[in-house]
Amino acid sequence: MTAIAPRATKASSRTVLAGRESASPVGSRRQPARGRKALVGYLFILPTMAFAATFMYFPAVSAVWHSLFNWTGIGNGTFVGLHNFVALASDPVMRTAVVNVLKLAAFAMLVSVLVPLPVAKLITSLRSQRAQYVWRVLFVVPLVLPSVVIYLLWQFLYDPNFGPINRLLGLVHLPQQLWLGSPSEALYAIMGIGFPWVQGFALLIFIAGIQAIPAELTDAARVDACGPWATFRRIELPLLKGQLRLVLVLNMIWTIQDYTAVLILTQGGPVNSTMVPGMYLYQNAFDNQNMGYASAIGVVMFVIMAVITFLNLRYMRPSVDYSRRER
Amino acid sequence: MTRSWFRRHRSFGKTCVLTVLVVLTYYPLFFMLQTSFKSNSQFYANFWAPTWPFHMGNYSQAWSSIAPYMLNSVIVTGLSTLGVVAVSCLAAYAFSRIDFPGRQALYYAVIALLMVPSALTIVPLFVLIRSMSLMDTRWALILPYIAVGQVLGIFVMRAFFDGLSPEYFEAARVDGASELRAFWHVAVPLVRPVMVVVGILQMISAWNDYVWPFLVITSNSLKTLVVGLVSFQGLHTTQWGPLMAGYTIASVPLLLVFFFTMRYFIAGLSQGGLKA
Repeated sequence: MTAIAPRATKASSRTVLAGRESASPVGSRRQPARGRKALVGYLFILPTMAFAATFMYFPAVSAVWHSLFNWTGIGNGTFVGLHNFVALASDPVMRTAVVNVLKLAAFAMLVSVLVPLPVAKLITSLRSQRAQYVWRVLFVVPLVLPSVVIYLLWQFLYDPNFGPINRLLGLVHLPQQLWLGSPSEALYAIMGIGFPWVQGFALLIFIAGIQAIPAELTDAARVDACGPWATFRRIELPLLKGQLRLVLVLNMIWTIQDYTAVLILTQGGPVNSTMVPGMYLYQNAFDNQNMGYASAIGVVMFVIMAVITFLNLRYMRPSVDYSRRER
Repeated sequence: MTRSWFRRHRSFGKTCVLTVLVVLTYYPLFFMLQTSFKSNSQFYANFWAPTWPFHMGNYSQAWSSIAPYMLNSVIVTGLSTLGVVAVSCLAAYAFSRIDFPGRQALYYAVIALLMVPSALTIVPLFVLIRSMSLMDTRWALILPYIAVGQVLGIFVMRAFFDGLSPEYFEAARVDGASELRAFWHVAVPLVRPVMVVVGILQMISAWNDYVWPFLVITSNSLKTLVVGLVSFQGLHTTQWGPLMAGYTIASVPLLLVFFFTMRYFIAGLSQGGLKA
């Protein structure tokens, strides 16, 4: 990690020479200045490269390396080849964790479209600009509340003895539940957090997308006697493909990565019913000092996310490719 | 008849649906707020509605426990935000405007980090921070936050610089300005609105981060707000009033920032979606 500084300066001095020797292809008129300019360029990106190398590249490579070791985090550990991955493949807790996180991700993706998209339609269809603005702000404000506060509040809502939800059930004479304390309900209780799931982020993205649709298109549809549903289904929805993709993919990635709710509310319990890979990694690394095994879980999660990103880039190109506009 | 009635009252119907959703969304917050003013006997006697008199003492009790945490969060969030904005602005400018060998490859090497999940790096990062003897210091939070946060910042700011007309910079160069001066006097003023968006996003993520500070900060006096809040909750499990007052106080700072920068924030996120 400290090696990056000398390496970077060496690289830049080498390119200073290279810059002087080679003619510049792109319009810099004063050639002697080119080498110095390159040096300035390297100086500008030096902090970024130092941070990235120390706190991201080094740990990432170290994780891949140590996933092949029996490692407690102290010393080098013992090389075990792919044993961690083999053990992972037949680890019943890992299997539960993967199934759980898939359920959570599927649910998060479902509600990230099914709720914010209709709300975005409703808001953009209001006549008054002011009303549109106010509703939009109202739904976006919860976005800046600390997520930990939201989780702690829901912990209170779900509290079996004092929580409003059980009180409400008691008032209408329905059986009260253990919620986060029940192996059969805890995972669904985690999904329930944030009800009614008007995700501010997705809402903003969808509103912007709907507003970017040229009015001529929807007007033309109306002239052709398309009903509102047909207009939405045939014209607006296809044009929102890019936004849908963004919201779905980000929600999937966030859900796979983020185990804060589980860590605060259940720690994966009761009896692993809310275990997710991130939480299992955490337990292995920091409760059991099983850091080699934890690194292997991290590698698996990384590969899954890389595959998702790749598939997303490769097979779901947006109808309009904005990425090739400039450069 | 019913059809025309519906047509006439359509916007009323829409408002009703939106109102129900807003009420449901804010209900937990309403509950937090009304409970934060209650004594425990009020809490048990009158669970659902606000009760008179308000117990403002809950707030001073909560404040005295979480104020030090709040200060830590302000320091960590502030420094990491400044760091992210400065570091990513410099790099984005170089990647967009300065021609140097390997520029594109290095840019992709940085942007590829968007794909690296914290799950992959968290274990070695923990070991690294321990070996750098940064454990249980604020630097253990600030430095990795800058490293992670800069990636998105560079991505967004570079796109912005790429979109600028080269004439801005040509003019500076004709005047004989050095690269540094062109950066400082031309680029930085232009990119300021983007800096605000990057800054807010970084603030939100640093302020709300739980897992990492929970791991690397062990002494109570250095805990950040959200971590302190969870231990505060552990100490006050059945003192509902002070507990909810603490949650309320913890929510205020980012809300304030949001209200002052709302336009940038909403415009920034919406534009991000259009480029998707």
